[in-house]
Amino acid sequence: MSSSASAQRWACANLKMKALRIVVAGLVIAALGGCASYAPPQAWEKQYLALPAMQFDADKLDAKNIQHVYFSKEGSAGGYGVGGGGCGCN
Amino acid sequence: MAATRGPRPGALLAAALTLPGVVPQAVAQSVPDTGYIQFKYLDYRDWQPGARRMRVENPGLFVLKPLSESLVIEGSLVYDGMSGASPLYFNALSGASGEGVTDYRSAGDVRLTKYFDRFSIGVGVAYSHERDYISRAGSIEVRTWTADKNRTYAFGFAGSADRISADEGAVQGERKNVLDFLFGITQVLSPTSIVQSNITYSRGHGYFTDPYKLLDNRPDHRRILAWLTRYNEHFPSRDGTLQLAYRYIDDSFGADSNMLEVAWVQPLPHGWSVRPSLRYYTQKSAFFYFGPPVGSGLRPGEPYTADTRLSAFGAWTPGILVAKQLDDGWSVDLKLEYYEQRGSWRLGGDGSEGLLPFSARWIQVGVTKTF
Repeated sequence: MSSSASAQRWACANLKMKALRIVVAGLVIAALGGCASYAPPQAWEKQYLALPAMQFDADKLDAKNIQHVYFSKEGSAGGYGVGGGGCGCN
Repeated sequence: MAATRGPRPGALLAAALTLPGVVPQAVAQSVPDTGYIQFKYLDYRDWQPGARRMRVENPGLFVLKPLSESLVIEGSLVYDGMSGASPLYFNALSGASGEGVTDYRSAGDVRLTKYFDRFSIGVGVAYSHERDYISRAGSIEVRTWTADKNRTYAFGFAGSADRISADEGAVQGERKNVLDFLFGITQVLSPTSIVQSNITYSRGHGYFTDPYKLLDNRPDHRRILAWLTRYNEHFPSRDGTLQLAYRYIDDSFGADSNMLEVAWVQPLPHGWSVRPSLRYYTQKSAFFYFGPPVGSGLRPGEPYTADTRLSAFGAWTPGILVAKQLDDGWSVDLKLEYYEQRGSWRLGGDGSEGLLPFSARWIQVGVTKTF
């Protein structure tokens, strides 16, 4: 079923706000990439960074299960990665 | 997320590339020191006032194994056994007898990652099968890091091809194809803090309609832009770690959302650890969602849905995870989370009206063995 004219009007009406959010997101990403001037720790100062609690998604199966629950009960999902395929749950 | 006392040498984590709804990726700048096998069992139940809805029993297995000094393989297998009643529209439950339906889903995936001096390449495939839905996906990811390993850039690309045949034959051979892109940066900020920010873009075309929802008719394309930022900071004086996550989603369906999650990992004596957490989620309704009564707002040839998952609502998830490190590389964990979704909880108001609160709880037990 193709998008309706009403859908296109709705999309245009929100375009400015969406563009602003995308620009803000891009600036944050660029700011992170521009942290060359920040003084990061030396190799011998990274013992705390190696802790499992400091890792993103150290428990892979837990993250998989929980994100699947949210995907099936909420409007949309994303941000954690790509390539998982789909399901009939959403 | 369990925490253990003492650092693991050489285990600095880079950008996390986890798959939405499937499998998180191995994220490191070198092959892990050890492999591990993990089994988890998730028991899920949901309900609305006066009626039980779905129950899902979900055993799953995950294995990660270094194959050489520069090659690692990982994969998972999961099974969902589903039973109960789901809404035909709004809060009206399916099943003529009220007993609902039963269904299943089995899924598996494999990823191979090759590490080089300053970058890694990972290739993965995934497959899932349900009575009425088959999905096949492939992905590739490239990560590169600075010489001091304090910054990592991640690039991901994936494609999936889904086939839908449902509703007792009324829907046959429908297809949905999705392309996903990811760009992420992970930056070590200090000896005790790290931040990661990912942007993913998903572009899909095909059959998005839910054939089990009355009058459901969704657009044949969907674009989702998601921006996820996560921050972890360790506090040595308390031996605890703060974990923060924020995500914004821009959705061509109109269900734009914001999510904020906070957690604290606290090691305890004798190998125990506890992780309380709280998540808040709020979304707008899809532009083709119309509130009760069913059919209100329906126009011939125009998209329509009475699926409450595309309504405007807010949701809270308090939870707690308890873990215990055992001898010889064994560990066990128990997670309990409660979820509630209400229109009145939408941030800023303007939540969808005329709907019952939706509640769920899940209990997950797990056991892990390193080798």
